[in-house]
Amino acid sequence: MRVAYTDVLVVGGGLAGLRCATGVKQRGHDVVLLTLVPPKRSHSAAAQGGMQASLGNCSKGEGDNEDIHFADTIKGSDWGADQDVARMFVNTAPKAIRELAAWGVPWTRVHRGDHQAIINAKKVTLTEKDEAHGLITARDFGGTKKWRTCYTSDGTGHSMLYAMDNKAQEQEITVHERMEAMALIHENGRCYGAVARNLMTGELVAYIAKATSIATGGYGRIYAVSTNAVICQGMGQAIALETGIATLGNMEAIQFHPTAIVPVGILTTEGCRGDGGLLTDVDGYRFMPDYEPEKKELASRDVVSRRMVEHMRKGKGVKSRYGDHLWLDITILGREHIEKNLREVKDICMSFLGIDPAEKPIPVRPTQHYSMGGIRTDYKGESQTLKGLYSCGEAACWDLHGFNRLGGNSVAETVVSGMLQAEHIADYCDTEESEIDISTKLIKEFVDKEQAKLDYLLEPKENAESAYPLRRAMENIMMDKVGIFRNEKDLQDAVDELEQLLIRSRNIEVKHKTLTANPELFNAYRVQRMLKLALCVAKGALERRESRGAHAREDYLERNDKDFLNRTLTSWPDENQTMPTITYEDIDIKSMELPPGFRGYGKDMTITNPESKTRQDEVDKIREELEAKSADRFEIQSAIMEYKSKLPDRYNGKNERLWERLDD
Amino acid sequence: MDKNLSRLKEVEEKFGVRKSRMTAKLDYIQSVTGFLLAIFIMGHIVFESSILVSEEFMYSVTLMFEGYFLFGSAHPEIVSGISAIVFVLFITHAFIAMRKFPSSYKQFKIIREHAKRMQHEDTSLWIVQIVTGFIMFFAGSVHIYMMMTLPSEIGPYQSASRITHDYMWILYSILLVTVIIHAFVGLYRLAIKWGFTEGPNHKVSRKRFKVIMKVMIVAYLVLGFTSLGKYLYIGNTHDFEKEPVYKSKTIVLERH
Amino acid sequence: MTNETPRLLKISILRYNPQIPEVKPSVETYELEEGDGMTLFIALNEIRERFDPSLKFDFVCRAGICGSCSMLINGKPTLACRTLTANLDEEINLAPLPLFELIGDLSIHTGNWMRGLNERLEAWIHEEDQKEVDFDRLEEKMEPALAEEIYETDRCIECGCCVAGCGTALMRNDFVGAVGLNKIARFRLDPRDKRDDSDYYDIIGDEDGIFGCMSLMGCEDSCPKELPLQSKLAYLRRKMVVMKDEK
Ligand SMILES: Cc1cc2nc3c(=O)[nH]c(=O)nc-3n(C[C@H](O)[C@H](O)[C@H](O)COP(=O)(O)OP(=O)(O)OC[C@H]3O[C@@H](n4cnc5c(N)ncnc54)[C@H](O)[C@@H]3O)c2cc1C
Ligand code: HEM
Ligand code: HEM
Ligand code: SF4
Ligand code: F3S
Ligand code: FES
Repeated sequence: MRVAYTDVLVVGGGLAGLRCATGVKQRGHDVVLLTLVPPKRSHSAAAQGGMQASLGNCSKGEGDNEDIHFADTIKGSDWGADQDVARMFVNTAPKAIRELAAWGVPWTRVHRGDHQAIINAKKVTLTEKDEAHGLITARDFGGTKKWRTCYTSDGTGHSMLYAMDNKAQEQEITVHERMEAMALIHENGRCYGAVARNLMTGELVAYIAKATSIATGGYGRIYAVSTNAVICQGMGQAIALETGIATLGNMEAIQFHPTAIVPVGILTTEGCRGDGGLLTDVDGYRFMPDYEPEKKELASRDVVSRRMVEHMRKGKGVKSRYGDHLWLDITILGREHIEKNLREVKDICMSFLGIDPAEKPIPVRPTQHYSMGGIRTDYKGESQTLKGLYSCGEAACWDLHGFNRLGGNSVAETVVSGMLQAEHIADYCDTEESEIDISTKLIKEFVDKEQAKLDYLLEPKENAESAYPLRRAMENIMMDKVGIFRNEKDLQDAVDELEQLLIRSRNIEVKHKTLTANPELFNAYRVQRMLKLALCVAKGALERRESRGAHAREDYLERNDKDFLNRTLTSWPDENQTMPTITYEDIDIKSMELPPGFRGYGKDMTITNPESKTRQDEVDKIREELEAKSADRFEIQSAIMEYKSKLPDRYNGKNERLWERLDD
Repeated sequence: MDKNLSRLKEVEEKFGVRKSRMTAKLDYIQSVTGFLLAIFIMGHIVFESSILVSEEFMYSVTLMFEGYFLFGSAHPEIVSGISAIVFVLFITHAFIAMRKFPSSYKQFKIIREHAKRMQHEDTSLWIVQIVTGFIMFFAGSVHIYMMMTLPSEIGPYQSASRITHDYMWILYSILLVTVIIHAFVGLYRLAIKWGFTEGPNHKVSRKRFKVIMKVMIVAYLVLGFTSLGKYLYIGNTHDFEKEPVYKSKTIVLERH
Repeated sequence: MTNETPRLLKISILRYNPQIPEVKPSVETYELEEGDGMTLFIALNEIRERFDPSLKFDFVCRAGICGSCSMLINGKPTLACRTLTANLDEEINLAPLPLFELIGDLSIHTGNWMRGLNERLEAWIHEEDQKEVDFDRLEEKMEPALAEEIYETDRCIECGCCVAGCGTALMRNDFVGAVGLNKIARFRLDPRDKRDDSDYYDIIGDEDGIFGCMSLMGCEDSCPKELPLQSKLAYLRRKMVVMKDEK
């Protein structure tokens, strides 16, 4: 048995994992990072849109600050987010961008003078200030009041991930690639590291650490079509769940994107519709005006997705070998416009479809895009129930996004959560309490158990199942019944069917009898785990009888702040269970800086909680009083909701802006 | 790759040892000599083809190189001198360039298989350089040696006699094909190597350079072989017993 | 998306598992009906699902951005995920990239090779005397055009196609390849990196670096990201040749 010891074990080499590892190392602790793929191949590389931070350098971002970013985030989350966390996040995001700039990210910069932009399908001229020339610029993204999304041309995530990994290499951080974390080692409510499997040799290795951080990204691949990378299978969440102790938060909060191409599910930007592209059906008919006479194709992401599904359910979808789809028609924009302003879309269509979008419509359909849910942690990123287990990035639910995340907030989250968490972990490792005293016997137990599970998968069985059909069945159930529209009957069916699949999955037999690099083997154990996650999502969705953010119930159209202003927690205390255990954690209105209100788009359909008004009055009063005393925005904020004591000192400073200079 | 390399560099730097600058110089010299040789050959073949105009014209070109029009008398030593310079360039170029030859049969096999699998033109062109260079190393040396030692035996009839009756046409045919290809492929590769193809769209200009290279190769091969044909024609029709050396009607030459 | 009669693809794959050296490498052929918009990502997954679950290959993003899926497709190195079967003949030959450590079948270990390369080149921003930057303050300015230019060279996805397409790299295993040289060109452009030309010379000024490159152009012609590798190599060569020591 091979055992490796370190101070901190980070599972996941995406933006979140890398930033966490770098921070811990900077504080002088040893760190080992495990990842399925070389860090630079992590899914973070796919983010093209950008990263939100209220720098306010460009003309359309002028006047932006933490307060506005905060309000956008909370409204976006449909009040599901943790407001302390959101505050910490908006204060740290500008620092994160500037740090990345110093580490080498070639952020796109402000250019002085006039330039053209398309806003709401109209051409406008914007003028940039002289003094902003050369500072980091930003673009527009859905759901934000200001232009706040910083970017590097069309490869934001890529350049961020590369800069971050380069930094990690400079710091000589130990990275073990193609090492899959298989189980967390824990005893008496404390996590001691993980058992990992070398995907090339099949060897099991135990990594023992004072603190373990899971940064394994989302779980989009439990759906049949997803914009996510194929490794986004939620294995981090699954192994946390399998401890029986750690909990997962808001697993049913899943975001969909309306226009990913068919079959491979790659995103085409919203710019297509923004510039005037149309959605058409099997008859070439433009259907959106029938559903949304006012905004048509330009209604918000979730609305368009829902309408598309509705229309396909009426049998108006285009049939293909890969399922139904609709058309995104941008031919009317003309070749010149497409080649100049939508170059990426053209590239994607040419490379992945062999279609020239200036001549032919693009096959699209709504597609799973982002997992708001994940390992439930406190604001430090530590599990509420399993000490020493941390989580950050998309894998976690420390709860920045609530039930809907804003575009551009997730790469920002990965970096910021990594930064903050690294400090908390380092603090923890500095304490006496973090010292480890587990026996090698315990380690061996965990390794043996994993080995036994693998061996069992290879064992010949009667009525043996194979992994692929089970997986396809799961993916389709999730897509059809736990998708964009949800209702009691479908969800109940989904839960029942998934339970059956889970039971059947215990009888999987791997035909190719080798424990080394064997894709059949890893598919088998991953399907078993994905089914558990799928059940958490489906069951959580079934029990949440309201609509909030991305969770849209046809049978409960209102957001119900009276009964459901809470977080869903799922756990799996007994291995033999076939259903997750669900509990709820209330979200406290009394401590909110921004009490629940109208989200600002769509119809207001809220079952309000009386406390919302009480708190709103309280907040207004504090604000009035302090404004009378001409207090600044920081003083007012802190009187309404104090959060700075929770933020590591390093990141507590005010952020400088062109018009908000710090004195020396 | 060896991770310790970068650590090694740290040590080197600490002790003030830096990487040899010689490698850069050699790379540069290889290109400069190659370039000069290519320019020389382009001129060489053109001068050679003066025979196509007339024997008289070729004769005067020869005399020009012997400094006749400058000094009023012929000095074949000048040709020996030029030959010596070219010889030095030739040898320098060859020895530096030979470092790039595959250093073992194994390497040669790798590159050959790679070229076959990739079907990639520029990779194949490099192999062409290696092969033509290798052939020229022998064939060219013989020719230059001859020109250095017998500079006075250049002329419409002497050359024709050598080409026809000493069977030099065989050597020249080989040399002609190899040197033309090698020179123009070499010039194309020089442009790529140092970035003369740059511009707003370097991919397009690279394509253009390649077209020019091919046109030049064909043009020069035609020119070279026609001249060779003319020499052979003279060699087979001319009576060398009667007139071994060309006698000009206009230029009456006293040889030393 | 209607098609008359779909083609029947014959996909031949070079199979070998170095963990089981007793079994010699072999070529296996699978027949598959072509679908609309079918990429090799879809085709290979179908083969794995329907014919042989043990077939090894690497896809991560399946969108041409992560660089995991490079392989030899009919002899040429490129990304499998962004290769449409419609652009190929019915008979398709697949083999793993040469040079890199083979994990099995089409799966190769480009990651550790690239990591070694990065360490060797010290491919990160070298700041001056490790000063602490105050990230509360405005960021340092940079010319927009320069940022753009740096990004253009930063687009490399470490897929290894340029290395597999380079005869020099195949012959001499210590050659840094276009991927490495492009990285140096990237850092040289970047004013945040404080290394000077003699520092870069120490890293790439030899036969394993820029002077080992024989301008075979396999790199430029294989790069799926269409990076201007040729200009970058030429640029570096010029800089390294004119470089004068300050001392
Ligand atoms: C197409 C697309 C576009 C997007 N665009 C944007 C955008 O413009 N702006 C924005 O803010 N967000 C965007 N997002 C979301 C954002 O990219 C992700 O949320 C974010 O990158 C997640 O980063 P991460 O570090 O948490 O995880 P990832 O980058 O997914 O990294 C996960 C890591 O965990 C490792 N891992 C997984 N399981 C295991 C295991 N069992 N053992 C060991 N290692 C494991 C993997 O190898 C990987 O290194 C986009 C997402 C998609 C799909
Ligand atoms: C060093 C100086 C050189 C001199 C003075 C010289 C001179 C000559 C002369 C006089 C001829 C005519 C044939 C003859 O008289 O035999 C000739 C032909 C030729 N030389 Fe050279 N040569 C030189 C260098 C080279 C070099 C370096 C090459 C190539 C490697 C070369 C390639 C040829 C070829 C291919 C022909 C045949 C031309 C044809 O067919 O038109 N020569 N040279
Ligand atoms: C003994 C004879 C010769 C040999 C062995 C030889 C060999 C080579 C080789 C191997 C190269 C490729 C080098 C590389 O890729 O870096 C080369 C390049 C070149 N050769 Fe020659 N060569 C010879 C003669 C000549 C002659 C006679 C000419 C001129 C006509 C010439 C012109 C060139 C040019 C222009 C280049 C390109 C330079 C460069 O790549 O830097 N060579 N030669
Ligand atoms: S330079 Fe191009 S071919 Fe080479 S690794 Fe980078 S992206 Fe791949
Ligand atoms: S293919 Fe190789 S030899 Fe140079 S030009 Fe490219 S690195
Ligand atoms: S799978 Fe990412 S580039 Fe092909």
